[in-house]
This record gives sequence, C-alpha cells and structure tokens, in this order.
Amino acid sequence: MSAVAVPSTGRPTDAPTPRRAVTPGPSHTRMGHVRATVVFLVLTLFVSGFAYPLVVTAIGQLIDPNAANGSLLTDPNGTVVGSSLIAQNTSAPYLFWERPSLSDYNTTLGMITPPGPTDPALGTLLNETIAYMREYGNFTVNASLPFWLVSESGSSIDPDLTPEAVLVQVPRVAEANNVSIANLTGFVNAHLVNPPIPYLGVSYVDVLQLDIDLLAWVGK
Amino acid sequence: MVDLQSLWDVLLVIGLVLAIAPWFGAYLGRVYLNRPAFGDVVLAPLEQAVYRLLGTSPRRGMRPREYMFALLLVNGGVFAFLYLFFFFQSSLPLNPTNTFYHIPNMSWDLALHSAASFTTNTDFTHFTNESQISMGSEVIAWQLAMFVSAATGLSVAAAMIRGFIRKDGTLGNFYVDMVRSITRILLPIAILFAVILVLLGVPETFKNYIIAYPLTGGTQTIYLGPVASFQSISLLGTNGGGWYSANAASPLANPSAVSNLFLVGVMMLIPFSTPFAFSQIIRRKGEAWPYVGTIVIVFAVALGLFIVYQAATNPGIASVSGLGTSTNGYPVGQETRFSLPEASLFQVVSVYSNVGANNMAIGSVSPIAQMVLLFGMFTQSTPGGEGTGFATLLLFAVLAIFIAGLMVGRTPEYLGKKIEIGQVKWAALALLIHPAIILIPFSIGVLWGDPGIAGPTLAASAHNFTSVLYELTSEAANNGSALSTGSFTDTTPFWNVTGALVMLVGRFVPIWAMLQVGGLFAEQSEKPPGPGTLRTASATFTIYLTMILIIVSALLFLPVLAMGPLAQIL
Repeated sequence: MSAVAVPSTGRPTDAPTPRRAVTPGPSHTRMGHVRATVVFLVLTLFVSGFAYPLVVTAIGQLIDPNAANGSLLTDPNGTVVGSSLIAQNTSAPYLFWERPSLSDYNTTLGMITPPGPTDPALGTLLNETIAYMREYGNFTVNASLPFWLVSESGSSIDPDLTPEAVLVQVPRVAEANNVSIANLTGFVNAHLVNPPIPYLGVSYVDVLQLDIDLLAWVGK
Repeated sequence: MVDLQSLWDVLLVIGLVLAIAPWFGAYLGRVYLNRPAFGDVVLAPLEQAVYRLLGTSPRRGMRPREYMFALLLVNGGVFAFLYLFFFFQSSLPLNPTNTFYHIPNMSWDLALHSAASFTTNTDFTHFTNESQISMGSEVIAWQLAMFVSAATGLSVAAAMIRGFIRKDGTLGNFYVDMVRSITRILLPIAILFAVILVLLGVPETFKNYIIAYPLTGGTQTIYLGPVASFQSISLLGTNGGGWYSANAASPLANPSAVSNLFLVGVMMLIPFSTPFAFSQIIRRKGEAWPYVGTIVIVFAVALGLFIVYQAATNPGIASVSGLGTSTNGYPVGQETRFSLPEASLFQVVSVYSNVGANNMAIGSVSPIAQMVLLFGMFTQSTPGGEGTGFATLLLFAVLAIFIAGLMVGRTPEYLGKKIEIGQVKWAALALLIHPAIILIPFSIGVLWGDPGIAGPTLAASAHNFTSVLYELTSEAANNGSALSTGSFTDTTPFWNVTGALVMLVGRFVPIWAMLQVGGLFAEQSEKPPGPGTLRTASATFTIYLTMILIIVSALLFLPVLAMGPLAQIL
C-alpha cells in the first residue's frame, strides 16, 4: 500500500484504530471501488440508455401517437408535407409566408443565430428583408410591416405568426387565388389559435396549417 | 411596456413551485437520510440487491477523501465512455447508414470538449446536433452523463450537509447516494415528466428523421427521436442539453406556451427544493428560509430586469424604416408562441439554475439582459445547478458567518459547529477558483486564441467581447448556454481544449472543497448555542447573505462587464 493511497485500507481487521468513538463502517478496498464503479455504470447505462427511453417511447406511442411521431401533416394523397410544428419555405405569391429563416428552413443546418442586438449587421438584415417583402409581397397597405413578419426566430423554423402579420398578407394571397379579401380575412380569423386561458401564451396563426387548408379551400 | 396582466401565469408557476418546494424538499431530505419514504415497498429490496452487486452498503460511511475518490472514479468512467463513443460514433449503433444522414466521428478535440461538457453537467455544445452527433451518442452516451452528473451534484450536496449532523468524520456512502438519487428522484420523475411532454406535443420515437415534401416543392428533413425523454432528464437534472441545436426554442422540443411553462417547473423543481432538503436533514425547519429568501430576492430582481429591458425598444435598429411597433423590444431571435414574460421566465430560470437550455436566441437579447444572465452564472448559487448550486450557497454562508464573527469578535459557529480556519480556506478556494478560471483563460484567449473580437463598431466589438466572456463564464459555472453570435468562433481546437479544462476544473475543484468543508464539520461534535451565536434563521441574516453574495460577485466581475455588455449600450 503506497503512502498516497486513497482512503482504502482493506478489510476491517487492517483498519487503523478509529480516532473517534463512533466507528464508521469498513471502507472499500481499491478493487472494491473499481468493482462498485463498473457495476454502477453498467446498471445506470442499462437504465438511462435503454430502459428509460424505451419505456417512455412505448407509453408515448400508446397514448398520443400523433405527437410522438412529430405531429406530421399529410395532404389528401397521404404524402407527408411537413410537421405542424415546423415552418417551411412557403414564399409563393398564393401562399401565406412564414417568418424569415437564415437557414432557409433547412433543418439539417440546425439553428443559425441572427446578429447581436447592437451589431450593424442586424439593421442591414432587417432592411434587406423588408425590401424583399415590399418588392414581392404586394402589400397594398403602405403601413409598416409587422415586426414578427420580418424578424428571424430563435429556432429558424418558428411556424407561427401573429394575426396582424398574417392579415397584412391577405391582399396578395387574395389576388393570387382569386378570392375576395373579406372572405380570406374571415378564413384567416377562423384559423386563429387563441390562448387556452387569457394571457397564457399569445394569439397566433399556424401558417403551414393555414396554407394547407387554403389550398384545399381554393381547390388547388 | 409589458402588459401587467400577462404576468399572471409567470407568477403562478413560481408560486406553484415555491408551494411544492417545502414538501418535495422534505422528501429529498428523507431520501438522503436513508429514512423510510414513499416507494419503499418496491424500491427498498431493489436497492438492497443493487448494493450487494456493487459490494457496498449504507453502513459503510466514507470520509471526504474516499467519497471524492469514488466520485472521480465514476465520473472518470463516464468521461472515458463518452469520449470513446463520440470518437467512434460513425461505426456505433443508432447512426443511419444512409450516406446523407450518416454522422461521422467527432474530431479528438470536439469529442474531448463534448465529453467534458456532458460529464460536468454543463452540456455546452460546440457542434450542430442535427449533423454532428448520432442518435446513439445522444441516447446511450449523453443520456448516461445526464443521469450520472445530476446524481453526482445531489450526492455532493447531501454529503456536505451531512457534515452538520455527524460526529465521526464520515459523509455517507457515495454509491448509495448515487443509487438513491436515481431510483428515488431522477428516474421516476423523469419518466413522469417525459410522458407529460409527449402529451404536450413533443416527439418520442426511435425514427431518426422523416422526409417531408413541402407545398412549394423540394424536400424538408424533420429530425425526430426520443426527444421527450431526453428533454425531461436534461432539464430535470439541470443539464440543459437539447435534442435540437435550437434547444427549447425548437417548436418540436417546446411546442406551446403550456409546454414552456411546464418545462420551467421541471427546471425549478429540484434547485428550489434543495434548501428544504437541507433543513430536513439538519432537523431545523427555519434554517431553509435564509437560503430560499436569498435565492428568491436575487432571482426576482434578475427576472424583473430581464423583462423590463427586453420590452424596451432596441436603439440598435432605430434606423430601420418601415418597421411596425412591437410590445417586445427585441423580437429578433424570439419565438412567436410565447409571450415576452413567458419567454423571459424560461431563460432566466434556465441560466440561474445552471441548466443552460434556451428558448430564444440569447445572443439577440438586450445587452442588459445579457448582463443579467451573466450575473446568474457569476453567483452560480441562486439557485444554481443540481445540488452544487445549494452547496455553493452554503459556502457563501460559511464565509458570511465567518466575516460576521470577525466583525463582532466572537468565534463564528453555524448549527452548533465552529467555523475554523480550514472551512474558510476551502470555501475561499471554491469561490475564488470560479473567477480565476473565467478571467485567466479569458485574457489568454483574447490575446492568443484568435477569437475575432474586432467588429465594425465599438458596440459590435463589445458584443464579440461579451460572447467570449459568456462562453467561459458558462463553462466555468457548468451552465451550458451560449450567445454564439458575432464573429467569435468557438469550434477551434484552442477553444475546445480550453473549454474542456475550464469545465473540469470548474466542476471538480469546488466539489472537492465542498466535501472538505463537510468533512471538517463532521469531525466536530455539536455544541449548544451560546449568547454570541449568530441567529441565522432570521430576516437580517437573509439580507446580509444576499448582500455578501452580490458584492462579492459584482466586485470580481465589474471590470469585464464594463468592457462587454456595458460598452454595448454606450
């Protein structure tokens, strides 16, 4: 046994005389520590890496298969067109647009962070987005664009927009689809998701869901 | 301005957690006292069987040295396993064979940083989850570290607290503490919370990804996996790693305002209950309140500042024309579905509990809000990470009582145990190593690490400076959140290796000090309180402790704050 030996002194018979009245239990030998560590890690690995996720997956698939499989949306033919939780590129004139995405809604790139709050690049980015939207968005109102429509989200795939950011797009979408502005406004309002209890969350529109329903509504 | 009515759900969640905390903390205390507790019928025989397999028993108490040795063996084992798994993940299970989605091995420095990060409860990631870590690495390796590091933190706190009630110099049995942390706390609660998360819309499947065909053509990959179970233990154990690189900002990981508030509760549960576990173990109910008070005061001020400064208009984009107004002054990097107070609550709880998850791009929040987050990592104890956060607060208390004793010229004592030179030395070491491992690597890194700090304007440069400071603070506090903006690139070998060292020292040196302090208390027999004893269960002591905490942290870091976040708002 070396002088720097970590606490272990082996079996109780070798233990040094206790310094105090109350004797602690016998300490582990060094091999005892190795054994305990290895067994502990193997057991924990089995629990954390296999039992735990498998049990939760089994329960999850049983009680809410839709959510457990990613809240997928399918078109009438059964093709998966996306997830109701994820934004995608909808920048066609006849569709409502999502919030802009630095990764162009490409989830393989992960989250791309926007410039910092005091970085001049942030102003440049916003100006470019606004200019693009003004050119292709056909916003008949000459008012300011809603902040949420032109700002990057935290996840780069935020699928939701505030009601005003959707309503400001109504003239363009109505013209492209040959429907009246009044009818389309009513259609959008019917898609408004309100907080379950006042002020728990905000009112928003799930843009992908809206677009899928819109295509079905106008018969495309 | 913030709509005051929108604060109700935020206050409700905080109130609910504080209402549950005394009860849940008492349960935690019973777990670590090895007292009969709920679930004994099933779990007690199971634990006995595990102890036999391990070759240990609750009667085998360990002194600090042996406790630390066992702790390092277990955590070292996890570190080695993780490193090898990441380094060879290309040929290991749960990695798609499809060439486009196949995940290659990590480089040696990235594997080192990741293994250190997950073992130390930091979960700071220098990779993009979607393309650089396989499902096997996440479920098998990373998740193991989530359980073990959370259990380690709880065990250390329990061992240190036991110092106040023992006289034989021992602190308990490390293996028993670890087993009970998992069987009694982490595993059952993680399963329950994961199932609730599925009901709230979070995916839970072993399918890696699904290809979708969007409305305007092309394809979109939807990454899936056992997200709910991963997220549950990640936040419950104050780890903070996310399945997606956007973490809890990703709509798949955090689908609604309700799931957001639920996750806040998950993160707060154990850190806010630990003071009550302390009072249960030492059998003095009132002694929890100064700590709860300190935590709540600092946390409430931080949350208030964060919300107020996020609501104020960002002067940095005043020149952008044609932009509508918003109640949120910094909507860039925010998610639509959360109100401003809800998003802020998640972020402040996450950083102050050293979880490090984020539901927004924190690199885009206001400079003052960034400073608020930094301050939480400077104190790392309001409430701080699993177990170690409260243990750090106890070290602050030891120091505060010692200083108070010096001021009135009495021998300082706490809970019937004298605070001697040894305890003060170890406490000072633990509290001083923190600024040392932030500021020294920071200076080295800024000078030689090529962080790319220079920006086009002073404010932009200050922001890059803040990013570097935030990175090292987050690693030293074992937090894991990152600004990751500007021109600072942290994925080079220099920052991987530096970060790994900072995280390892920031984790295990304070733990060593905590066990030593506990051990020194455990060598003493309890003395009855005398006339000179400082009454710690009092409002005066609460305010005193809060002040000590704020002054110590503020003094150490004011110069770098002036060059970083404060320079941004000039």
